[in-house]
Amino acid sequence: MLKRVMQNQPQVSPLAPRISNHEDTQEAHSEVPSKRVSSMGELQLPDVAPQDTSITVFHMKKKRKKLSISEFERAADSRLPQYQAQSTLDSTIMARSLRLSVGSLLAPDTVEKRGLLRRPKTRRAVDMQEFEGRVEQNMLKNKAGQNDLMDSQSASGIRTSILTSDAEIMMNSTELFVQPQMDEDSQSKLPALEPQLSDSKTSAQRSLISDADQEEARLEGRVSSVSTNQGRTQSYSKSSNLDDEHVDRMTRVSPETPEKQGEEKLDHSQQSNPMAEISFTEEEAVCSVYRWSSPLPSKGSSTKLGSLVTLNVSRMSLKQVVSCIIEDLDVSDTEEEVIKTVNGVEQEKLSQEAAERGASTVHSEHLEKKLSEKAELQITAAQNSRGETEMAPSAGEELEEGSIGGHRSPRAEGEITRGIGAESVAGHSPAFSSFHKPEMTPLSETDEQEDELQDQAVMIHLDSTVEEPAEDEVEHPPSQEVSMKTPAFVRAPAQNLLSTPHVAKPAAPSSPLKLLKPKTVPKKLRTSEKKPREPQIPRSLIKEIFRHFAKMPVTRDAFQIVEKCSERYFKQLSNDLEAYTHHAGRKTVEAADLEVLMRRQGLVTDKMPMNVLIERFLPLEYRMLLIPVAVGGNKVIPCK
Amino acid sequence: MRSTAPRGTLRKILKKHKPQLRLAANVDLLVHLSFLLFLHRLAEEARTNAFENKSKTIKPEHIISAAKVILKKSRG
Repeated sequence: MLKRVMQNQPQVSPLAPRISNHEDTQEAHSEVPSKRVSSMGELQLPDVAPQDTSITVFHMKKKRKKLSISEFERAADSRLPQYQAQSTLDSTIMARSLRLSVGSLLAPDTVEKRGLLRRPKTRRAVDMQEFEGRVEQNMLKNKAGQNDLMDSQSASGIRTSILTSDAEIMMNSTELFVQPQMDEDSQSKLPALEPQLSDSKTSAQRSLISDADQEEARLEGRVSSVSTNQGRTQSYSKSSNLDDEHVDRMTRVSPETPEKQGEEKLDHSQQSNPMAEISFTEEEAVCSVYRWSSPLPSKGSSTKLGSLVTLNVSRMSLKQVVSCIIEDLDVSDTEEEVIKTVNGVEQEKLSQEAAERGASTVHSEHLEKKLSEKAELQITAAQNSRGETEMAPSAGEELEEGSIGGHRSPRAEGEITRGIGAESVAGHSPAFSSFHKPEMTPLSETDEQEDELQDQAVMIHLDSTVEEPAEDEVEHPPSQEVSMKTPAFVRAPAQNLLSTPHVAKPAAPSSPLKLLKPKTVPKKLRTSEKKPREPQIPRSLIKEIFRHFAKMPVTRDAFQIVEKCSERYFKQLSNDLEAYTHHAGRKTVEAADLEVLMRRQGLVTDKMPMNVLIERFLPLEYRMLLIPVAVGGNKVIPCK
Repeated sequence: MRSTAPRGTLRKILKKHKPQLRLAANVDLLVHLSFLLFLHRLAEEARTNAFENKSKTIKPEHIISAAKVILKKSRG
């Protein structure tokens, strides 16, 4: 027997083309050979003796089914990939032939696996501050879609922060943590940030402008500053805006990393800022800084403006200062600190405005907190500030702008709640809103007035290329509110993260509602929109079955057609079954009806009884259910 | 092949087409069987068409032409 097998072996060529006639037999036997292989494998494991019996059995089976060993081998080879796991054959001749093919199949895999090298991981540690800053930026950017404005504003905010720092030094502010840190940080960060800051002078200018706007926005919230602004010329108001921007930027700077600054600056560099704005922004920044720092009337502002202007002559220095400030804020800023400072500063701000220059950084932090807290209330403020900041589209430090923008948006909300009709200022960068936020506490007429002034300032800056799309400015109040809502909504979680339990002032009873609505509505929509899906045969099943029967690669489009065919088939099927059942005078479809159907289909013939089909195609569990089986004990399963 | 047939889905489909019709126990298994045989026939016919076209993959055209024949055959 063995000899015969061995003799027959060389005759086998697995690559021989198969005739379709044999395919059917092979198909039928492919399952059987696989089983045999597995069984043979099992047999071989314990003992070699049974080999002969298995082979004899195999041969007998072969004869019965008129399948030669060569055919079997071919089928087995084709089945090899499926039964590699089962092919534990070691010593049988069949196993050898299988092993050859298996080995050839396995070898390349193992070779490939050995050669697999792990790529060196090129991950760098995540800088939490950077991450936080970026998160802030993202949140800010989401607000009102005023990214550009925000960027410009942040840049300007950085500028204003620089200005404020300078002003602080000049003013000898009595704030804590301000000057010495600023100096040191600025010096240390100068080299680091210089490349980033060196994007363009215009960017610095833009930052100035935006800072001015932001500062103004901030000042709006402040009673004192607002009052002063009103009396001032437009430039003054703008400077106040700059101050606001500065404040906002200061707050922004803290979360942002120098990298972001560079990015923002790049963005801003792309923005076009007329040179004319530069000087104006400087003035504004000066004014704003002054205003922010001191609630004094405009009298002294002029002098301070001059001083500030001189300070801010060199943009590079500003950039450096801004970068230093930003780094300072990044390093020193923490939520807890900010919260504390915010709480403390909020109360002090109004009183210490005069000497707050030095504390611009600190305030910025506070402002952030406040802003987060008062996001709702400052929508209007933000809008107003936005308009103003748009006027000063300074590319500026983008970081600040981004941060300021975030601040401004909440501010804008506050402003809106105040009922300020500075809709034209809608384009105001969100930084304004942020500025307004901290200043919301002293909500007062002055704020509104400031907004108006800011609007005027915005008007002045209308000529200057405003990055922020004019659309924002043109937005209607409701649209602005809506846009602000989203920032508020977006900010809400940020606020939760950052802010203390400070609650926004009552100016926005609607804002809490607005905040809630966006949260709940989507849920309702989703749950109610769920439709009852139409029952259909799962595509995966169809694919699997068809692929199994086709034994050939099938294109994806073909499966769509198969699906349609199956749907049509089920329709036909149901009609036929109903006809047969009705013909039998019944209302329930029975197995007999199915048999009639299959007989008419030509699937069930006298030669091919139904049970055989069941045995062939259905898994054992179903077969047990369908075909009664007699078991010992005079039992029949399923019991009838 | 898959070990389980979507019995519930089959019942739903039948109910969708013929809501008044009721099904006896395990009848959906026979429905599944008939569906399998239908797909089997369809695949064979499509494969034959693909061979005639001398293509190595089964394309939608092959299936469409096969479906026309097999659906007619499966009408009962």
